[in-house]
Amino acid sequence: MRSAIGQNLHRIDGQEKVTGKGIYTGDLRPPGMVYGKVLRSLLPHARIRRIDSRQAESLPGVVAVLTRDNLRVASPLHGAYVKDQPVVALEKVRYVGDIVAAVAATEEGIAEEALKRIEVDYEELPAVFTVEEAMKEGAPLVHERFEGLKTSEYGSGGAHVVHENSNILLHFRYQRGAVEKGFGEADVVFEDTFFYPSAQHYPLESHISVALFEGESLTVWTSTQSPFPVRQELARVFGLPLSRVRVIVPYVGGGYGAKSGIKTEALAASLSRLAGRPVQLAFSADEIFKTICQPRAKLTIKTGVKKDGAFVARRCEVYLNGGAYANSGPSATEKAGYRAHGPYRIPHVLTDSYHVYTNTVPGGAFRGFGGPQAAFAYESHLDMIAHRLKMDPVELRMKNLLDRGEDYAAGDTPIDCDLKGGLQRIAEAIGWGQKVEANPHPSLSLEGRGLKVRVEGLKGSRIKRGKGIACGVKDGGGTNKPANAMVKILSDGSVLLSSGSVEIGQGMRTAFLQIVAEELSVAPDKIQVAELDTQYTPFDKGTNASSATSVMGQAVLRAARDAREQLLAAAASLLETQASEVELNDGKLFFKSKSLSFREVMRLHYAETEGEIVGRGFFKVPRNDKVPLGYSSPFWEIGFGAAEVEVDEMTGEVRIVKYVSLTDAGKMIHPLHCRGQDEGAALFGMGLTLFEEIVYKDGQMVNPNLVDYRLPRFRDLPELFTTQILEEEGGPGPYGAKGMGEGGILAVAPAVCNAVYDATGVRIREVPLRGERVWKALTEGKGDEGSGRG
Amino acid sequence: MSGSLLPVRFRVNGQDRQSEVRANELLIDFLRDRLGLTGTKRSCDIEICGACTVLLNGKAVSSCALFAFEINGKELLTIEGLADNGRLHPLQESFIECGGFQCGFCTPGMILLAQALLDENPDPSWEEVKEYMDANICRCTGYQMIIESILDAAKKMRRSI
Repeated sequence: MRSAIGQNLHRIDGQEKVTGKGIYTGDLRPPGMVYGKVLRSLLPHARIRRIDSRQAESLPGVVAVLTRDNLRVASPLHGAYVKDQPVVALEKVRYVGDIVAAVAATEEGIAEEALKRIEVDYEELPAVFTVEEAMKEGAPLVHERFEGLKTSEYGSGGAHVVHENSNILLHFRYQRGAVEKGFGEADVVFEDTFFYPSAQHYPLESHISVALFEGESLTVWTSTQSPFPVRQELARVFGLPLSRVRVIVPYVGGGYGAKSGIKTEALAASLSRLAGRPVQLAFSADEIFKTICQPRAKLTIKTGVKKDGAFVARRCEVYLNGGAYANSGPSATEKAGYRAHGPYRIPHVLTDSYHVYTNTVPGGAFRGFGGPQAAFAYESHLDMIAHRLKMDPVELRMKNLLDRGEDYAAGDTPIDCDLKGGLQRIAEAIGWGQKVEANPHPSLSLEGRGLKVRVEGLKGSRIKRGKGIACGVKDGGGTNKPANAMVKILSDGSVLLSSGSVEIGQGMRTAFLQIVAEELSVAPDKIQVAELDTQYTPFDKGTNASSATSVMGQAVLRAARDAREQLLAAAASLLETQASEVELNDGKLFFKSKSLSFREVMRLHYAETEGEIVGRGFFKVPRNDKVPLGYSSPFWEIGFGAAEVEVDEMTGEVRIVKYVSLTDAGKMIHPLHCRGQDEGAALFGMGLTLFEEIVYKDGQMVNPNLVDYRLPRFRDLPELFTTQILEEEGGPGPYGAKGMGEGGILAVAPAVCNAVYDATGVRIREVPLRGERVWKALTEGKGDEGSGRG
Repeated sequence: MSGSLLPVRFRVNGQDRQSEVRANELLIDFLRDRLGLTGTKRSCDIEICGACTVLLNGKAVSSCALFAFEINGKELLTIEGLADNGRLHPLQESFIECGGFQCGFCTPGMILLAQALLDENPDPSWEEVKEYMDANICRCTGYQMIIESILDAAKKMRRSI
């Protein structure tokens, strides 16, 4: 039978999604459903003296009004890292947008009207908006105490530095060697500081849940990436056993990190309990901006270098503006810290990474999870070092990049692909070292793509062109993930796969189906993938960090092999031989001249009683005390990029003309979807590089909508945009697969900024590259020189 | 919040219908809540993203920015009406075959906008697709595979004429 691996099967959610029949949470209308709306704080930091909701309660059509005064729960606080976020505000509000009250009514308009009738009496408190303000001595505290703080489980090299009475929730330190000694051995030392913006994930489907409390049982249909952690938190908040909380996940309209942990679920459930009816709570587009964001980052990197360009020592400081509630921001902070020194051979490293509370929108997981911020800093910094040493930036990278099999950090998984080979490939693809030409890619057909030959006209014009390269690497995710899967062979020979990974668009259901088809040697159309319902689906920790195929894929593979063994044993007894003698191929079991179909084996084996084979698979990355983060990286996700840009020196406008992205999938289960993941990630990165940025003024977010916050559109596509996906088979997943889908972001910002430097001689240390920022930098002067000391 | 009711007669997905709508009722709510056509998706609500795109007399419009009464006397096509008796439209086929979506939330609007494009221009170039489709936003795919899906469907549709 033809292997299912590496085939571009039609995705199994395809038919439903292109016909509009696919059900998303917002399409559900259980009988009696009412609509929830929330009241948000307009003050960044204030104590709540009194809430009067009587006028709202008396409005006809209102069926529930929830405030701290009638919030009857076992535990009002929730959070992935620390229990810091209340279902509704308790003693105070902590950012503009914090939730003070919620209403359920028979119509959305009535619920909105009711919100206007709730009176809240506040006592305003001094607030902190930036990391600098929040870390000042005596700064107002966003949280006076940390409840249920997750204990750090760092291994050798990693440490948690505790700051009492401070807005620093987490200070992660990583060290190896002796950094000061290293700087002493260096011929020259350079230090640079960079800023990466706060951004909005903007999944097109906003946060939404439908909740139904019936007696002491709770059912929630919700758009989430983490159904089992959501179940856990709901059970804790409402004081219910896990068996009485049921989380069902319909199709999810995008997540990118935004839908990890509790968002609308606890509020919808609280309203449903008060109303005695199912409640839909859907956040609007502007509310999604007030719910979670990518934390703004400031990064300083100092590197000691030998005259020949060899790195000796690196000191990194990372500050993430975590906003008012932690979510998984502290975990992103650890990761940003661990990733900050980059994929280079550096004997002495010291990194301090801080997650800092402020009175702004909570930060949390965002595609890349601290990786893009780190890569922007270390890859811009590397280019600057190269220019200062008068070296070619590609040559400097080649000199310092880790080899395959070399340690990223002592004890951790060795680098699992050829980084230098990848660098050479993108350098070649962008025509590194060649002058900018109209079409330096004769091998790539541009026919019909309208690549405009403007370059001839560029001589002496205000439009400057340049090229840049960057190499990003992040440790793979899923280390905290006990992944379970179940593969059943039913009495008619059909196969049912069940796993807790969420189909969030990445195509994981189709990839898992391909793994089962391969292991059972059965046609893909004989396999169904079950819907996700915590009542029936085996446990998983969440769909994040490029871990579905790489980590859950291993559980699926094991479940399929378990089912296969049971099937072979059943067939062997029917065929009167040993299981090892039975051959499985194309949905049939063979021994000598005899053959049986799956259906025949199942029927004969179980006779009239019927029955099913249940194969189980489990995988969990084991604890490793020798590794800084306490767990070995399952794989290394790489994201290399090469950009060619045009900079308009009069307006500061930057256009990405060409972009080549490169990653390593280990092994592609579904090549088309792998390409979609990498291109999608790269375009995400282009948005963050060119224009996406959440802007605050006096604690108020000024652009919480798609007019003022621009997302990438078709027009933003580079004229040449390709992705190269290597298959170096070094991953832990099925057939050598690694995770992907985040790598594509890593290199974009530094590759583009390095290209802007190449074009103009001006270094930009802060993205996005909005026209006025670039224009200002252009007028301020040129050169990467300076700031080094011998 | 009801207000006065207005009678409307319209044709949706090939069927003649009549109904009464509130003066302030948005088309998207009428489609999703009253007609049960939930394939039309709500996202930005301010006519920026195109997730709620439907075809009104063949023209792509944002149903979040029209009143329901504006469909009176007109013909409406939603994603539910594109397949022909369960047989997928070439655009639907090509979006599956060429990776034209991931999460699928923008897909109904994206496919209907592409239909409007191919009605106007059955043989568009890469650049023409890019320009026309710029009205709608996808956050997953990186757009190129959407363009490829549309060009692939256009080829199929030209062949079948």
